Amino acid sequence: MSSGNDASTQAQKRAAAEGRAQGLDIGWTVFSYLLAGMAAYGAIGWLIGRAVHVSLLFPIGMLVGLAISLGYIIYRYGRGGLGGTASPQDRGGHRGGRPPGGDKEMSGDR
Amino acid sequence: MTGDVGVLASGGCHIFSGCGFPAPGLQDFEWKPLFSIGSFDFTKPMLLAILAALVVIVFFWVAFRSPKLVPRGMQNLGEIAILGVRDQILRPSLGKRGDSYLPLLVSLFFFIYIMNVMELIPIFQFPVTSRIGFVWPLVFIVYFLYLYLGVKNQGPWGYLKNMIPPGVPAPIYIILVPVELLRFFVFQPFTLGVRLFGNMFAGHLLLTIFTLASWYLLSLSVGLVYAAGSFALAIFVFLLETLVTLLQAFIFTTLTATYIASSVEPAH
Repeated sequence: MSSGNDASTQAQKRAAAEGRAQGLDIGWTVFSYLLAGMAAYGAIGWLIGRAVHVSLLFPIGMLVGLAISLGYIIYRYGRGGLGGTASPQDRGGHRGGRPPGGDKEMSGDR
Repeated sequence: MTGDVGVLASGGCHIFSGCGFPAPGLQDFEWKPLFSIGSFDFTKPMLLAILAALVVIVFFWVAFRSPKLVPRGMQNLGEIAILGVRDQILRPSLGKRGDSYLPLLVSLFFFIYIMNVMELIPIFQFPVTSRIGFVWPLVFIVYFLYLYLGVKNQGPWGYLKNMIPPGVPAPIYIILVPVELLRFFVFQPFTLGVRLFGNMFAGHLLLTIFTLASWYLLSLSVGLVYAAGSFALAIFVFLLETLVTLLQAFIFTTLTATYIASSVEPAH
């Protein structure tokens, strides 16, 4: 009975740790998208604006980039569908392919 | 340390004594060289970084120089440290088969943590990671590692292609390419480094401000009340920083693990 409770507690801790890692990953990815969208389309706007002598294209580009980033973030993470949110266990034990060292367990694993 | 902080700390500079509050600033992150070899200046943060590395190396060497089946003493502590990183950082992102990255993540976590926690140790009293030059090398190690792993496991084209999840319509795909490229190659490593640096920089600045203000406001006047308030805040920030030092090391290492995970297999 108690071993069942222990297993359940372990599973809960594991799920909480996975949730934390995913939350951090998604949080900082979203932040990076917002910056990258503004920087990418701001730069494109600035370059076009420089060519056609319309300096307003720089801030417009940034706003367009921000809108693209927001749309993409909502598309990718908003419905919980595409965000790569499968747990390592769902991916056959890990998120990665096959890191060198394979299936080795630590000695003293507990 | 240069700047006004040393002057304030050494003298009787208090409120109503005619001396203004020399607020801490960037000058408090600049250090006079301890010694120089030619044009190379060896400063206190460098010494602290070396000390941090030595602490990590010596701790794990002592803990595991003659490992026993039933761990005792330092080995027990060492195993708790390693298993903590494995179960809280590595396994949630990489799963069991990512255990080969454990030495990297353990070293990274404890090196960053010790560099951060230098802020709270009397005599040292400076977080090494509040100098961004100490953060970028760590970021570059992580950056080149996950780029290498991504290219090795998915191929150069597959790695680039997998940045955008499948199922995105072609016109949207083209729109997203500059965003994804910039996000992946510039902002992902940038945020990884700047977050660690920014948190430690701000924490050290806050701690310095409230500690100095407690001293500056100390006088036989109403300033005494303000000094007490400032001192209470200094204690609060100190306690907060004990958490932040650990949290920043944890976040850096966790994100490293997730970046490695998305390199060895596309996360989407």
